Amino acid sequence: MKENVVLHAKKVSKTFPGVKALSEVGFDLAKGEVHALCGENGAGKSTLIKILSGIWAQGTYDGAFFVDGTEANFQGIKDAELAGIAVIYQELALVNDMTVAENIYLGHEPMMGVLIDWNKMYTDTSELLRHFKIDIDPTARVGDLGVGKQQLVEIVKALRKESHILILDEPTAALTEHEVDILIEMLRDLKKRGIACIYISHKLDEVFSISDRITVLRDGHTIKTLETSETTAAEVIQLMVGREIDDLFPRRKSACGENLLEVRGLSVKGPEDAIDLQGISFSVRKGEVLGLGGLMGAGRTETLMHIMGAYGEREEGSVALHGKSYEGQSPQAAIEAGMVLVSEDRKRFGLVIEQSNNFNFSLSSLDSISNKVGKMDTNKEFQKNEKTSRQLRVKAPSLETVTGTLSGGNQQKVVLGKALLSEPEVIFLDEPTRGIDVGAKLEVYELINRLTDEGKAVVLVSSELPELMGMSDRIMMLFEGRIGGEFAKEEFNQEALIGAAIGQSL
Amino acid sequence: MTKKIPIRDYTLFFAIIGIWAFFAIMNPSFLGARNLSMLTIEISTTAVAALGVLLIIVCGHIDLAVGSGIGLFGGIAAVLTTAFGLPAPISMTLALIAAILIWTGMGALIVKQRIPAFIVTLGGLLIFKGVFWNVINTSTIPIVEGGKENLYSILTTQYLSPSISYMVTAFVVIAMGVSNLRARSNRKQHNFEVDDGEIAFYKFFIVSICMFIATTILNEYRGIPLSALILGIVAVGIYVLTQHLKFGRHLYAIGGNEEAAHISGVPVGKVTIGAFAIAGALVAITGFLQTSYAGSSTTSVGDLMELDAIAACVIGGVSLKGGKGTVIGVLAGSLIMASLLNGMTLMSVDPATKFIARGLVLTLAVWMDVRMNKS
Repeated sequence: MKENVVLHAKKVSKTFPGVKALSEVGFDLAKGEVHALCGENGAGKSTLIKILSGIWAQGTYDGAFFVDGTEANFQGIKDAELAGIAVIYQELALVNDMTVAENIYLGHEPMMGVLIDWNKMYTDTSELLRHFKIDIDPTARVGDLGVGKQQLVEIVKALRKESHILILDEPTAALTEHEVDILIEMLRDLKKRGIACIYISHKLDEVFSISDRITVLRDGHTIKTLETSETTAAEVIQLMVGREIDDLFPRRKSACGENLLEVRGLSVKGPEDAIDLQGISFSVRKGEVLGLGGLMGAGRTETLMHIMGAYGEREEGSVALHGKSYEGQSPQAAIEAGMVLVSEDRKRFGLVIEQSNNFNFSLSSLDSISNKVGKMDTNKEFQKNEKTSRQLRVKAPSLETVTGTLSGGNQQKVVLGKALLSEPEVIFLDEPTRGIDVGAKLEVYELINRLTDEGKAVVLVSSELPELMGMSDRIMMLFEGRIGGEFAKEEFNQEALIGAAIGQSL
Repeated sequence: MTKKIPIRDYTLFFAIIGIWAFFAIMNPSFLGARNLSMLTIEISTTAVAALGVLLIIVCGHIDLAVGSGIGLFGGIAAVLTTAFGLPAPISMTLALIAAILIWTGMGALIVKQRIPAFIVTLGGLLIFKGVFWNVINTSTIPIVEGGKENLYSILTTQYLSPSISYMVTAFVVIAMGVSNLRARSNRKQHNFEVDDGEIAFYKFFIVSICMFIATTILNEYRGIPLSALILGIVAVGIYVLTQHLKFGRHLYAIGGNEEAAHISGVPVGKVTIGAFAIAGALVAITGFLQTSYAGSSTTSVGDLMELDAIAACVIGGVSLKGGKGTVIGVLAGSLIMASLLNGMTLMSVDPATKFIARGLVLTLAVWMDVRMNKS
């Protein structure tokens, strides 16, 4: 394998003011290999990627790395691209208003003299897509595609540049299982063609199904490089966290009380009649976790958003809290009544990213720190926020740290803290662990236990079945805006749940 | 913990010093008592309008109708006073109410009908200009019957007597010192970054000295202009509103991320409309000041003042994307815009060049801001 090394990093170190992000990291990537990079948030994965892709120019870090045997001297992303390195980020960099083909050829349009050769662009694109067995219309507007398909377009775009080193940063965070399969199939095909991949993912099952080797980073150090075939998920997790984890889903059963939230026969018309919810009924008791599952677009998020008063128009049905009918129609009313939503999209619906943690923490609970005329008691605010920040173990220099500068896991904690500070009875958690690392996930699970112990009701939406099964007391699956099936704890099993999610009740 | 000195805070300060030094060299009377008094009044009008625009920009919108509104509401008050013979306080109150209602209406159009603020206020700019010219019959309406005085006319002709001026300045300095100290100990208690003690003291010391020197010079003429007092009250009001009231917190949240604010329970519509209502009131007050300063209501009152107000905001660091901006920044921005106009008028620069200079300064300021944010 040695002579086939296409990328070799030697003692790469990078220091930010006050933090050593990477210290003497070593790493190598062989031709045709998928090499997974694992580590908790803040372990240094992103920093390493930024160095390899030229975002941090040579000179801003110590050590060196070699591409195809020659030392890299990248001054910017362009240099990395020229050397054949392409990066696909978690956050997509596509132009929504352009077609698939236009995006794929953006900046490299095939020309006929001074004019763009549209014909060639579209035929080449459809050939590329066919080659990878991707069913996407080259003339479709990218904004109209689902996130999953957009991700695939992004990958095709990177491959068109004839890169031979592909870096994928959490490529499957927003993909459905079917799309993940397509992606993995694609990567296998690329391997055959000698393209090397660095694959970053929090989802270990994917890492194990696709990678040849795994390198674990922790606190900026290379901990170990393992042959995937010779290791286990447990070992990788242990190396990542630095300690042993006994139970991935430490759900403690809490004593269940009376019904807190009751939803009866909800039918909802979405904007532009996009998604309709029909006949959704469920209830959650004090101290209970209701899992809400289903495929993307099944109406999970829409159900929660509708109850919060932020989605669609109700045609039929009712919502009751504490046995009393709840008629509120805005998030403000919902929060006052004791409900709160932690959105799956924290950048869009969760945080004012350019403001401080202090600002974000108290955004839903300003009433509790204000007097009648709306004057805030900032001292009281600091105290409450400080307490919450400590309880949730938010890693940030101070309350005044800008939330956008924190890692994903810590940002998620700020959103959770904001929700908790509004002193809710019913908490809707929409994909609360998406894109955060194992350690932070465990903390979220512990938080769920604490909430139910305090007699609160939790509705947990998750796309990951093990999480849904591990943390829920009861599960309801949605299928195309309807109830696909309901399961008590004893009835949990993967096949039945998936069956309900695709409308095939067993 | 102590924090590094952010260069940005000081660039505005040095820009002001630079502009003043330039004009003082070109024409020493720039720093004379009489001109400083005029400049103070001009700053007051620009800043009151800009503080209203601040609220609108912070929540993510824009207001292009300010200039026309200034003319219109000044004109309404003038017509009510001289043509209808109403007492000045009553005419002004009526015009103020009209302003609040109209700006609330524009806010409602933007929030409820989802028409972009740019369009609504651009329409407002034209409509209010037309209505204004009709109200004053495209002529010149005095604000008071010949030679006499009323509340309207004294807005920019009344000065605080020298002794009262000193007392006001001393009061402001003490209040500033006390609130600084309180904020400081509060922040220290929570382990927040504070300025190094010495730097904080020098900052306070320099500002205090500047204020006393300014008061002394203004006293050489006729004292602190009443309009400066009005600006002071408005500025303190907007400061409290943005920094200490729930309303202000909501404004910044809406400008920073409207969807997140909505889901977090912020009444986005109400707060946005509220910001427009307050801005409307400030437009009316600016209208009274500006018309009073001109001596009568004529078709040119308020011309292009929306651009001066927006420029003052932007120079003062208010983000046009929303969610960011401070009262102090806007005051500094207003000081720069008003100084430029005043200084150029004093140098008898022709109007064409004035336009060009104002445009260049605005562009330059934003360019520098973009550059500094990058590095």
